[in-house]
Amino acid sequence: MLRIRLTGLAIAVLLVVSAGIVVAGGQAETPEDATKTLRVAVPTFPNSLDASIASERNSQNVAWQMFDSLVWANDENVIEPALAEDWEVSEDGTEYTFYLREGVEFHNGEPFNAEAVVYSWERGIQPEIEWSDRWARADSVEAIDEYTVRITTEEPDPLLLGVMAQHWNIVPPQYLEEVGNDGFGESPVGTGPFEFVEWAREDRIILRANEDYWREGLPKVDEVIYRPIPEASTRMAAIQTGEIDIVNRLTAEQADALEDVDGVNVVTYAVDRTFYIAFNNLTSGVDEPTEDVRVRRAMNYAVDRQAIIDSLFGGRAQLATGLMTESNLGYDQSLDPYPYDPERARELLADAGYPDGFEMDFAAPAGAYTNFEQVAQAVQGYLSEVGIETSLDIMESGRYWDLEAEKQLPPLFGDSWSERSGEALPRLRGALGGWDASFSAWSEPTIDEYLDEISVTIDQEERAELYTELHNYMYENPPFIYLYVPETFEATRDNVVDYRPRAAEDYFLMFTDIQ
Amino acid sequence: MQRYLLSRVLQSALLMVGVLILVFFIVRLTGDPASLMMPRDASPEDVEEFREAMGFNDPLHEQFFSYLKNAAVGDFGRSLHYRSAAMPLVLERFPATLQLAASALTFALIFAIPLGIIGGTRPGTMWDTLCRGIGLIGQTVPNFWLALMLIVLFSVQLGWFPSFGRDSLRSVILPTVALGFFPLGKFTRLVRASVLEIKNEDYIRTANSKGIPERRILIHHIFRNVAITLVSIIGVQFGYMLGGSIYIESIFAWPGIGRMINEAVQARDYPLVQAIAVFSAGFVVILNLMTDVAYALIDPRIRYED
Repeated sequence: MLRIRLTGLAIAVLLVVSAGIVVAGGQAETPEDATKTLRVAVPTFPNSLDASIASERNSQNVAWQMFDSLVWANDENVIEPALAEDWEVSEDGTEYTFYLREGVEFHNGEPFNAEAVVYSWERGIQPEIEWSDRWARADSVEAIDEYTVRITTEEPDPLLLGVMAQHWNIVPPQYLEEVGNDGFGESPVGTGPFEFVEWAREDRIILRANEDYWREGLPKVDEVIYRPIPEASTRMAAIQTGEIDIVNRLTAEQADALEDVDGVNVVTYAVDRTFYIAFNNLTSGVDEPTEDVRVRRAMNYAVDRQAIIDSLFGGRAQLATGLMTESNLGYDQSLDPYPYDPERARELLADAGYPDGFEMDFAAPAGAYTNFEQVAQAVQGYLSEVGIETSLDIMESGRYWDLEAEKQLPPLFGDSWSERSGEALPRLRGALGGWDASFSAWSEPTIDEYLDEISVTIDQEERAELYTELHNYMYENPPFIYLYVPETFEATRDNVVDYRPRAAEDYFLMFTDIQ
Repeated sequence: MQRYLLSRVLQSALLMVGVLILVFFIVRLTGDPASLMMPRDASPEDVEEFREAMGFNDPLHEQFFSYLKNAAVGDFGRSLHYRSAAMPLVLERFPATLQLAASALTFALIFAIPLGIIGGTRPGTMWDTLCRGIGLIGQTVPNFWLALMLIVLFSVQLGWFPSFGRDSLRSVILPTVALGFFPLGKFTRLVRASVLEIKNEDYIRTANSKGIPERRILIHHIFRNVAITLVSIIGVQFGYMLGGSIYIESIFAWPGIGRMINEAVQARDYPLVQAIAVFSAGFVVILNLMTDVAYALIDPRIRYED
């Protein structure tokens, strides 16, 4: 009889314990009241709410609602005053004097002043800070008086203000000393439009409006709740049911389906990212046919990119004319994308001495980008039509990027590069910097000269001209097969107004309202 | 009994050491986290500096011994991605995962036991067909597909349940069904098969011939034996469900360990992957140990054989 009891008991205990866990695990419903709450779904889980440590775009977006920098880049990417009301630049372009806004307080009541700026920079350049290289663009940051700060750079740095706007979140010294970087990332304090309330890991992040925000009348909503939802289908369901007000990173098919749903608006825009097949003149591509510019041009003519965009992306992507996108400074609108012209490709190949084509290895990453494996296969097919036979190796993306960083990929390799600063310089440097850049397999003196000049030209118009010239040079002498600039798909409930995402997929919710 | 227990505990400890070693080396086969963690436009020198600072350049055996030494006291280092201690991150998320697995298991048992008994005692009837049908569907329908279908039907179309999150009791329902459907099928088939088999045993015939009522035979003679089989498989199934919840947790945005595994692997967050793997393995080992002990308590044949 003991055995019967034990068996029964075991099962009964299991059921009771399970049921107990089920009940105990349920959390209270979110209170619903008259406050204006904006519920935003994000596809990844922020690793930190400290903008200097948050590692990727979605974490950055969450973090930046709580901070300000000295300057702010507006929607047109023009630098405007923020915590600094005004600034002067010395004649040689290496010394900036910032006049700080007075009377601003951090969310915890600490005063904002020059000391906070100096402290933020000294913390920012520490190696354990993810974006320390962005802070380290400045050589020194000194307090002149309570509301004046002098920032110097070694050489004129035209991107300094843009980088400051993007990465320099000003932090409260006392609080940070108390809690340390780890504690700060979990419970940040800034001067921004929203202040931190709660972070239930992997579940929700709650921010509430900063009542004393220095921008009058902002933010518009009382509360923002971020919910991480990794699966795109679930994000789509959540915007349909109205559980969420803003979702991003949907697929083109989902965006199409949502167009017909009542109460949902689809938001579509081209992102600042270019896709390409890169050539190599540093390692595996040395002495290969692709060192000849005619061959590289031929390969640009050989691929029907529009057909790829139509069939794989439902037409929802733009043809690339270079490594720059429309939102970048100095992008030349007058350049037409290479047309699909296999005849011209064959002529150029014959000119270069390869009338029968040639053979080459080709690689692409798997699972990293939407449909990119199929894009690579399509490119392989088009190249084959003009006689260039490639053997395509599609690799796990982690391993792929390891090899790319070691410059060990085949002479043809596909990838993409995004940029968030609004200028193409970091991307151009990164992809074309030769041996000085981890992910570059290409080096060309003319390009180097342009990049060197751009990186010390402070005047915006002059810099734009240089970019335009470089854009044209790289169009005629392509170091890549230029593919496409993708669009991104987001959706909002139709009572959401003034949600203004930018090409780098960043946004500032202080303007956004709910009606 | 004591000898049996002791040997099982020793075996489990040995297994954990094996897990520790395997996890360390397998994680390192996946490649170098430096290239993923540094910004793309970082210079080769910066990347090298980062590697040095994070200790990736130390000889592998040195890394291994410091890992073992720290693991012994439960310290799995700091997560590279989340920038905080790895093991507490895992423990923080475990209740959500445990809740989901437990509720899915309960759901499966509540339906599987009656269904299996009905099917087993009345083979060939309509009830039996239903029971076999559920068993088959449960084991063949992929749970991620089921999860998406449940969301489309019950959240988007009918609006009965939330489509994601862990907000209220109602948000447990859909993930529970999605995760519990496979074990439901499995248990139903198992219970049915056991009932069918035990029904033909000699002792049941004896009980019948003694004139013991049908209901009493079912509960005291048949179900008791079915339960022994069930208990032994519940532990194993529970372990599987912790793994299966990777998809389910991702789809329902359930704040548990499963979602974190995905993140950690993609970011090549060695310390976090190690902490998750060792913790999950440890949990399954303990679960199995408990199952064995329970089994031995319930069924004397086990401990005599050993």
